[in-house]
Amino acid sequence: MSDLELITLFVFNIVVYSIPLLYGTCGEIITEKSGSLNLGVEGTMAVGAIIGYIAGCRSNSFLVAILVSFLAASLVGALFAFFTVTLQANQNVTGLTITTLGVALYFFIGKGLSGMGKWPVLSSSDKMVKGFKNIEIPGLSSIKFVGKAFFTHNILVYAGVVMAIVLWIYIEKTSMGLKLRAIGENPAAADSLGVNVNLYKYIHIMLGSGIMGIGGLYMGLNMSGSFEGSNCWINGYGWIAIALVIFANWSTLRAIGGTFVFGFFNTLIYYNGPLANQFPHALGWLTKIPSQFYSALPFIITLIVLILSSVRKNSSSGEPAAKGINYYREDR
Amino acid sequence: MKGFHLVRRTNVKLWQRILFYVIGILVSLVIGAILLSTLDIDPIKYYRQMMTIGLIENKYPEKAIEGLLKIFVPLLIVSLALSLSYRMKFWNVGGEGEFIVGAIIAAVIAFKCSSLPGPLVILLMSLAAFIASGLIGLAVAFLKVKFNTNETLVTLMINYIALYVITYIADTKKSWNFFLDKESARPKFAKFPDPAKMPGIKIGNVNLLYSVIIALALGVIIYFYLKSTKQGYEISVVGDSTDTARYAGMNVGRIVMRTVFLSAALVGMAGAFSASTAATISTSITNNVGWTGVIVAWLSKLSTPGIAVVSLLISVLQYGCQAASVSYGSVDHNFADLLQGVILFSVLVADFALNFRIVRRKEADNV
Repeated sequence: MSDLELITLFVFNIVVYSIPLLYGTCGEIITEKSGSLNLGVEGTMAVGAIIGYIAGCRSNSFLVAILVSFLAASLVGALFAFFTVTLQANQNVTGLTITTLGVALYFFIGKGLSGMGKWPVLSSSDKMVKGFKNIEIPGLSSIKFVGKAFFTHNILVYAGVVMAIVLWIYIEKTSMGLKLRAIGENPAAADSLGVNVNLYKYIHIMLGSGIMGIGGLYMGLNMSGSFEGSNCWINGYGWIAIALVIFANWSTLRAIGGTFVFGFFNTLIYYNGPLANQFPHALGWLTKIPSQFYSALPFIITLIVLILSSVRKNSSSGEPAAKGINYYREDR
Repeated sequence: MKGFHLVRRTNVKLWQRILFYVIGILVSLVIGAILLSTLDIDPIKYYRQMMTIGLIENKYPEKAIEGLLKIFVPLLIVSLALSLSYRMKFWNVGGEGEFIVGAIIAAVIAFKCSSLPGPLVILLMSLAAFIASGLIGLAVAFLKVKFNTNETLVTLMINYIALYVITYIADTKKSWNFFLDKESARPKFAKFPDPAKMPGIKIGNVNLLYSVIIALALGVIIYFYLKSTKQGYEISVVGDSTDTARYAGMNVGRIVMRTVFLSAALVGMAGAFSASTAATISTSITNNVGWTGVIVAWLSKLSTPGIAVVSLLISVLQYGCQAASVSYGSVDHNFADLLQGVILFSVLVADFALNFRIVRRKEADNV
């Protein structure tokens, strides 16, 4: 393999492996903007993934897979909203339980279907295979290096980037987005201006969870839909997504770049060897660093960002002030 | 819900509370039964096997009890420990990480100090784990007190960093790595030398480990610590309102740091106990106890006797699902997690029904 080919492949894989994070992160950003800290990303992604995947295979339709994963995950979001918004339950506990429950449901469904010999194989659904195939963007994909690395991907990669941009415009530039941010900052003030706080929270928690679900589906398809008893498809990405929200400073636009940075470390876990072999002088040290360090880096970086930003108390932070606190109207 | 209005109830009686929770648990079991029947499993048979934790028709029932206690001890200690933080609304969700750190430090002592007599080694292991994990808690609490750093997210990150540290130790076959078995070609954790193994006393056929006795004693100590000491009183005042605590002249920052230190330290000690009981460590040593502990603490409303009862019930659930999975291949221990989640949600609904009344807006205005 030539130098350029290896680097192209490396960058190509960064994109492949990092985009599910973008879905998870954007979903969590829109959730947190409404003032809710949902720690259930991992479980929400798992539920969206497995239900969407099975529905898609059964109906032999990629579109059904996407829609169902969105719907299933947004129902999980509705559960979170019901408990935290309507019943005023603690957000941390509810979120953690959603993760426990979602991952357990994933294994229950997967184990159950495999046990009965009913697990759908991806190759049996030609429309699903076709839907997730890489698409070359005409013109752009023929550019050297850049074309192969960035413009020969499956549809969910492009859709993810577009989604992140659209969400940014929605949050920052529209009047609904302004109300959403107001709720995240000060729900009582937004309420007194006539914004239906609970409705906004429900809609955005469900929307955010639905987006997470599509990211989950992506991860399942990336594993060719093979169910293994011990490891969940999501494999901790939900937690990295929560970390990434902080790194991206609650901006879906920054999340695109942040996703690439975190994806870079994740991909190094597999590519440190090949890269070190190809460039023994420049990158030979890559293999000296244990791969677990690359795995831990997103969390270490987030920890540092968390501490530094709180020490500096910077005012440009996009962190919603009322995040994690339930809004009980009678307490106004 | 226009026209309707929520009113907090103040006079909830204990029997009402228990009744609502029992209903909640029954509803959860029914949901579980429906899920089981979708897999063509007879739920009654499954539940019977689960709740008897494999004691019936078992040649070695004492193994079932020992297995149950191995789940119960760490769960009880971790839930008690986490509840200390939660009483002050400090969201320490770092149980997983603190537990792992405790186990690693305990392993260091186990391998390095094996020439000392047995009880002393175990005491040292527990103490070192206590201090190491406690310092992590102290650091997080310091950041919270000094800079208002979000403790939920910080402890969450520490969980994963600790997980990758133990994975690194588990996978790295190097000469310095005294954690691994020298004989094995593949990286594999070595067994602890004998003095580091948790001893016990034989009661009938059951080998009752000292860790069980210590855990129960700890429950009693924490109960009185919270109820009858000055420090326990301070925790409850800070939990109610930091402003009140400040007006009363309490040093809120110091109380928070002290309590979170204790909370994390006890989780670490539970990690040392688990390592000593298994006589080794592993990357899955926590058995998700850091997460389950949050659920137990919450199900018990942070009440110390409640935690003892609930952690026993959840241990039965977990061990029972493991035992039942021997006969039911398509349902594994994850079913316990599933039920646990459903139970928590049912209890949250029950809580809501207990604490709030829905009344029409008109009525409410008259109140």
